[in-house]
Amino acid sequence: MELVVKDIDVNIGKKEIVKNISLQVKNQQFVGLIGPNGCGKSTFLKSIYKSLKPQKGLVLLDDLDVLKASEKKVSQNLGVVGQFNEMHFDLTVQQMVMLGRTPHKKLLESDRHEDFEIVEEALTRTNLLDYKTRSFLSLSGGEKQRVILARTIAQQPKFMILDEPTNHLDIRYQIEILSCVKNLNIGVLAALHDLELAAHYCDYLYAVKDGEVYAYGTPEEVLTPEIIEALYQIKCQTYKNPITNGLSFAYEI
Amino acid sequence: MDTQNRSRIGMGNMYYVVIALLIVFILLSAVYSVSIGQVHIPFRQSMDILLHTITNGKFGSLDNVQSESFLNIILQIRMPRVVFALLIGIGLSLCGTVMQAVVQNPLADPYILGISSGASLGATFAILVGFGSSALLAQFGVAFGAFVGAMLTSVAVLVLSSIGGKATSVKLVLSGVVIGALCSSFSSLIIFFANNAEGIKTVTFWSMGSLASSSWDKAPIMVIVVLLGAILFLFQHRILNTMLLGDESAITLGINLSAYRKFYMIATALVTGTMVAYAGMIGFVGLIIPHIARGIFGADHKRLMLGTLLLGGLFMIWADVLSRILIENVELPIGIITSVIGSPLFIYMIVKKGYNFGG
Repeated sequence: MELVVKDIDVNIGKKEIVKNISLQVKNQQFVGLIGPNGCGKSTFLKSIYKSLKPQKGLVLLDDLDVLKASEKKVSQNLGVVGQFNEMHFDLTVQQMVMLGRTPHKKLLESDRHEDFEIVEEALTRTNLLDYKTRSFLSLSGGEKQRVILARTIAQQPKFMILDEPTNHLDIRYQIEILSCVKNLNIGVLAALHDLELAAHYCDYLYAVKDGEVYAYGTPEEVLTPEIIEALYQIKCQTYKNPITNGLSFAYEI
Repeated sequence: MDTQNRSRIGMGNMYYVVIALLIVFILLSAVYSVSIGQVHIPFRQSMDILLHTITNGKFGSLDNVQSESFLNIILQIRMPRVVFALLIGIGLSLCGTVMQAVVQNPLADPYILGISSGASLGATFAILVGFGSSALLAQFGVAFGAFVGAMLTSVAVLVLSSIGGKATSVKLVLSGVVIGALCSSFSSLIIFFANNAEGIKTVTFWSMGSLASSSWDKAPIMVIVVLLGAILFLFQHRILNTMLLGDESAITLGINLSAYRKFYMIATALVTGTMVAYAGMIGFVGLIIPHIARGIFGADHKRLMLGTLLLGGLFMIWADVLSRILIENVELPIGIITSVIGSPLFIYMIVKKGYNFGG
């Protein structure tokens, strides 16, 4: 699915958080959103997945008008892995992932055999099969985030939004989660903090500063010393990593 | 911890066995409950009388029933009481479970959103001030006052928490506390100015909760309201489950919790209001039964809901039995019993490591 976002404005209270952001994610593209803390990335993403109502703008998933369509209709096409939030009651991993089937269910419909198969597949993809009967709250942060990803996969979305999905996770979990998403071969829009990961996984990048798009292009075009310096107020040099052949960064304040 | 969780949540087909056992226990307890009291009626005879009445004479014979009066005692006096205990247990644990999901807080109970204080204010007003001399209102006065009080506070909490955007769980709880405090102070004011010692005693008794006034003519409303509530929420497990995740995640699963919260609050307020009107305040049941049920059935509402209802019903039948037999010839207010059993149970659950209130 293709995502087109046009002229999104979000005010919270009297403050303008997101100013006129437009972007596009082509079919099966992995697009990254980078920028410093508080630049409006999360707010912008929330306005796309209907958690916040933007003051103006248009969001299209193919020809589905996201801002006007019902939550249910949107959630059948769009999956979201957000920043981790607290839960007060415990479910098993399997029950948690089964919740991903909610958008495809009528209120009184029961879970069918195929739903269990979809859940099983999502658990396999995220390497969680052994965790099926474990209690969700007893898991570590990285494991919890993988469960949330599995839930989103069970939702069978045609497009996925990730909001700093690898926050607080160790390197292995970061790579596991991003590769897993990449292998789904669907359109992805992800807010990321780690520039090396962004360079490695994203086909295209948008850099956001003070609620506006500051730069966009391929990772090589966006991740230049000048732009990084302007975004994060640090000195930065980029080089080609001799081992991975990927883009690497050396920072200094 | 790990193994405990496995056995706790991975119940599998044991679920059906436990549910069947609970139903059997409820039926047996009901028979036991009607056989005890000031006039002791042997268990066997109680069983015969009940079977005979329920099956319209096909089963159970009245031949060995010693006294004609047993029939009256059981069918007219004790039976409605057991039915009320069962219904109130079902209703309270139902509303407790739903409320805990609605406000995403394991400390919630059916009364959390100010309903208790509102109902108390209504009842206090009815007892000490009255609705004038109208005979009809005087008869239903207390029940009517409590119900109206409960409903008004619920609406007030709902309106207050919706001001300036969505009704989030935190706003709901805080609005409940504020409105509750306001109602309590009005109740105190009425009591302070009341020149009516007998009335104040009545208010106190009312607030302890009692099943003593149960009778068949009050049963229909109770049966309809509680059973409708139970049927409604038995089929809401998908939404109740997403409530556990919070607003943000629920939206991404296609469910806007804000609207459902309001709907659930009104539904639980109706059920709780009706129960409070007939039986006063019965504490702790709606708080601990959902937790015990979660310990047995897990937090997935698909299985939790039915389990919690049956457990609540069973608990109340026994609380009622205890309230009648603990002290001979004295009937303790049932609210005292539920709190006396409930608090140690709750402490045990806090101390025990296996159940962590989800936190």
